[in-house]
Amino acid sequence: MTTIEITLTILMRFFPVWIALALIFAPSILFRRHLGPYGKLLESPVGAFGLGLVLFWVLTALLAQFIITASPLEQVSGMKNAFPGTALPDAAGRYYLLGGDNLARDVFSRMIMGSRTVLAIAPAATLFAYVAAFMLGLPAGYFGGRFDSALTFIANLILAFPVILLFYLLVTPEIRASGVPTLAAAVLFLLPIIFFVTLIASRFSAQPAKLALYLAVTLVLGLWVYAGLAFDADPLGVFSMDPNRLNIFISVVFVNMPVVFRIVRGLTLDIRTRDYIAAAQTRGESAWYIMLWEILPNARGPLIVDFCLRIGYTTILLGTLGFFGLGVSPESPDWGTTINDGRKLLSIYPHPALPPALALMSLVLGLNLLADGLREQSLKD
Amino acid sequence: MTGTPVLEIEHLSISFMTRAGEIPAVLDFSCRLEAGEAMGLVGESGCGKSTVALGIMRYLGRSGRITGGAIRFNGRDLLAMGERELRRLRGSELAMIYQEPMASLNPAMTVGRQLMEVPMAHAGRSAAEARQLAIDAAVAVKLPDPARIVDAYPHQLSGGQQQRVVIAMALMSKPKLLILDEPTTALDVTVEAGIIDLIRELRETSGTSILFISHNLGLVLETCDRVCVMYSGEAAETGSVSDIFTRTRHPYTQALFRSIPLPGADKNASPLVAIPGHLPLPHERPPGCHFGPRCDHFIAGRCDTGEIPMTAVDAGHDSRCIRVDEIDWSRTAAAAGRGTHSQIGAPVLKIDRLRKYYDAAANALFGGGEKRSVKANESLSFEAREGEILAIVGESGCGKSTLAKILIGLEVASGGVAAMDDRPVQATPVQQRAPETVASIQMIFQNPFDTLNPSMTVGSQIVRALEKFGCGEGVAERRQRMLELLDLVRLPRAFERRLPHQLSGGQKQRIGIARAFAGRPKLVLADEPVSALDVSVQAAVTELLMDVQRRSRTTMLFISHDLSIVRYLADRVVVMYLGHIVEQGRTEEVYTPPYHPYTEALLSAVPIADIKVEKKRILLEGEIPSALNPPSGCPFQTRCRWKHQVRDRLCETELPPDVDLGAGHVIKCHLPTEALTAMSPVIAQRDEKTGMR
Repeated sequence: MTTIEITLTILMRFFPVWIALALIFAPSILFRRHLGPYGKLLESPVGAFGLGLVLFWVLTALLAQFIITASPLEQVSGMKNAFPGTALPDAAGRYYLLGGDNLARDVFSRMIMGSRTVLAIAPAATLFAYVAAFMLGLPAGYFGGRFDSALTFIANLILAFPVILLFYLLVTPEIRASGVPTLAAAVLFLLPIIFFVTLIASRFSAQPAKLALYLAVTLVLGLWVYAGLAFDADPLGVFSMDPNRLNIFISVVFVNMPVVFRIVRGLTLDIRTRDYIAAAQTRGESAWYIMLWEILPNARGPLIVDFCLRIGYTTILLGTLGFFGLGVSPESPDWGTTINDGRKLLSIYPHPALPPALALMSLVLGLNLLADGLREQSLKD
Repeated sequence: MTGTPVLEIEHLSISFMTRAGEIPAVLDFSCRLEAGEAMGLVGESGCGKSTVALGIMRYLGRSGRITGGAIRFNGRDLLAMGERELRRLRGSELAMIYQEPMASLNPAMTVGRQLMEVPMAHAGRSAAEARQLAIDAAVAVKLPDPARIVDAYPHQLSGGQQQRVVIAMALMSKPKLLILDEPTTALDVTVEAGIIDLIRELRETSGTSILFISHNLGLVLETCDRVCVMYSGEAAETGSVSDIFTRTRHPYTQALFRSIPLPGADKNASPLVAIPGHLPLPHERPPGCHFGPRCDHFIAGRCDTGEIPMTAVDAGHDSRCIRVDEIDWSRTAAAAGRGTHSQIGAPVLKIDRLRKYYDAAANALFGGGEKRSVKANESLSFEAREGEILAIVGESGCGKSTLAKILIGLEVASGGVAAMDDRPVQATPVQQRAPETVASIQMIFQNPFDTLNPSMTVGSQIVRALEKFGCGEGVAERRQRMLELLDLVRLPRAFERRLPHQLSGGQKQRIGIARAFAGRPKLVLADEPVSALDVSVQAAVTELLMDVQRRSRTTMLFISHDLSIVRYLADRVVVMYLGHIVEQGRTEEVYTPPYHPYTEALLSAVPIADIKVEKKRILLEGEIPSALNPPSGCPFQTRCRWKHQVRDRLCETELPPDVDLGAGHVIKCHLPTEALTAMSPVIAQRDEKTGMR
């Protein structure tokens, strides 16, 4: 196949993604004047482009099985390090669009499937880091004093520790055998449940019917997911997490948390001096109500921007981890591992390492541009 | 006056180009400023007065454009000048002083170095010469200990001193025109009086022309020869001070005078008349007269068609009103007095020897260091009765906010008793108070732009307050009550779903009032509730607040530094200085002699927008002492002008006793009663020199 043919075929393979993108963007742009902040984001070219890139990868991950041309783990003899556009020897009309890797697997399909691993872990890990940071950063900033000093000191300690070394430590068999990661997971996954329960309890204490309903829904859903993720004990078997992945997840959350903690604490320190906080105090609101309903919603601007940037950062971090062979299983198609595998023969066969690297770059670029667009938006009002 | 005017503006129009299109900020603005003359530019926020100043400086930023007209400075066309020429002009012949002194000073350089830059940059002086000039300038603006102050960093100076440094810097190059943009708004009244005195004196000695921008008519009256009143981007009326103040010929100017509390205003007999409606947004200006929709004299078909030109009333006095010859300008406002005095009942709040000390240890984390304390409140005793408005007056740092915080439960007192209906509240923080107690003491905050949670609808914020106060059963009942509260503060019910940023300042403050009155409080603390609002809105909110208070017979503690509004609405006044109550009594008693020496100085510092009033000028020397290190004896002794009349240096050694002059009028002073009663009034009507009212 010629380069043009390869390009056209790849663009064709992404057909479901183009359709989905068109379905999302066409009405959004048409009705952007009625869509509030989201509509305004589309008016900024930077924001719209960033959103498009991010959506592209999200949709690719969702629709991956319609895009791939081969199974990401299937090895075909004779395709070892095959160049892009090589036809499969046995089946007519099937090609390795971006060539084959060192183990004769399809680079294109591996890149597409790799997006699933990346997009499954990075946003979720960032979200958990945020919830944990809320639970610690809000009281640290709001109450201040020794509690704040102690937490900030611990956060600084974690920040001062080399990240890669920390990861190596967390995945060493001895540490894993000691049960530290499981314990950390047990605590970490509990935090969102506590967060939502506090959120609801502080808001609806004067409306018992609503309070009971919301609390029941939160607790049932939360504990179900919790049992599945933290202890792999989901009675229905819907939620579970591979121990390797759990480890990586915990590590990523742990590394992100101190940074987000400091941001949340700083924003809280600023917002708590506002008059509306004093007004809430003078009507006898509880401390958690003030933190979660008066401070947090008004800190959302900078937090949303940081959230986007942090997903990008986490994506790179996952790539780095995969590159060092940490966490995910060796044959996993995730981008970091694939880049590491391709690195060994980079000077002879650059094609297995380049596609995942470009994919990683475009996703992070998209997230950064989206964050820029959001920031521009938040500065305007 | 002869020769070319220093500044001549003809039909100036300025627009801001934004993504949403062109927004005209100033339209067809003309004025003339002769050498040595001072002109006041008055108007509410958003009327374009600062834009005019920035236009003169040609500092409009990237989006600002001058779309028409001419600005001539000493006969030279400013609009034709290049960037280099302008730069030479700014800071040497043209100087501008802004509202926030700290924002105009570089915090990383000593004051002296910043002053020295002026002669070094514009006149090429040597460093040694420049330093001497800097010290001279510091002397000229009456900075204490100039040789020392030039080596200080800006943050080591007080706000008043910082503003003096900025003025010194502006005057060092001997500018022909000095533009002052609200130079005293961020300062306390007595400090403001000092700066205003300085500006008047410098005018006489240096002969600089002054463009004085302010929202305060009283300040303009005290400093300027001529006034230009601006409204919605246009000059509404221009003329000499006496023209504007005695022969007002524009409905807006007239309405402004009616909405500010002058010494003659009385809350029962002649209440303030608020201007209906609000200032139109620049892109929503009505056709014809911009003031038309808010004007009493509006005639459809005449006032709302075509351009309304500036017409001459008489020499040097112009008005932008086409009905200037038809309106009967001598007619007084139509608003009838309420005529009913609110009945004052039994004491609700009793405060007895209340104290609040803050620890100010050198290092809070590790203890150690010497223990020092800031004495924010020192032995306060007073009572407030049902249905009464009790004003607490004092400058920043006097402890009035600390008192409010103790009552509301944000702070805990160090000693003494504050009893609400005979139940002590001073030691219970708000979290530990019963919901009824919380609901019974509520607060209205100063800054309306900051008192509402920006991400919750107005309705849900009021409902939340009702929930916390335990008012109403169930969601529907609370919502009904919330809608009634919106009616009470005269806002449309549709505002329920609005977010705070969709409301104007006055509307936000009304929501703040509704929220405070949600739980039918017995005591409302109003912390400068109208000081952040524009003049025309102030009147409406003040009247509303008094109306709600009167109907609910709530006791209100009105905390303020604005003595004009306090005189207008308060039944009794408490004057505080450095944590002490120095004087308390009924309003008439506090505003007439005998005064406490501090009250006397405070009264004389307040600018009054009434040309018929004659004021005694008493300038306070020095700064308010630090509460960390208060003076011995009387707190006011370091600045008191009567001190020499007390024998044996008693003022410096002993805290004065509370002297009751009868009927609850108490003054904390060592002066003998005869000396107190012999004081002459600070404010007197010019024609009948017998005292006020």
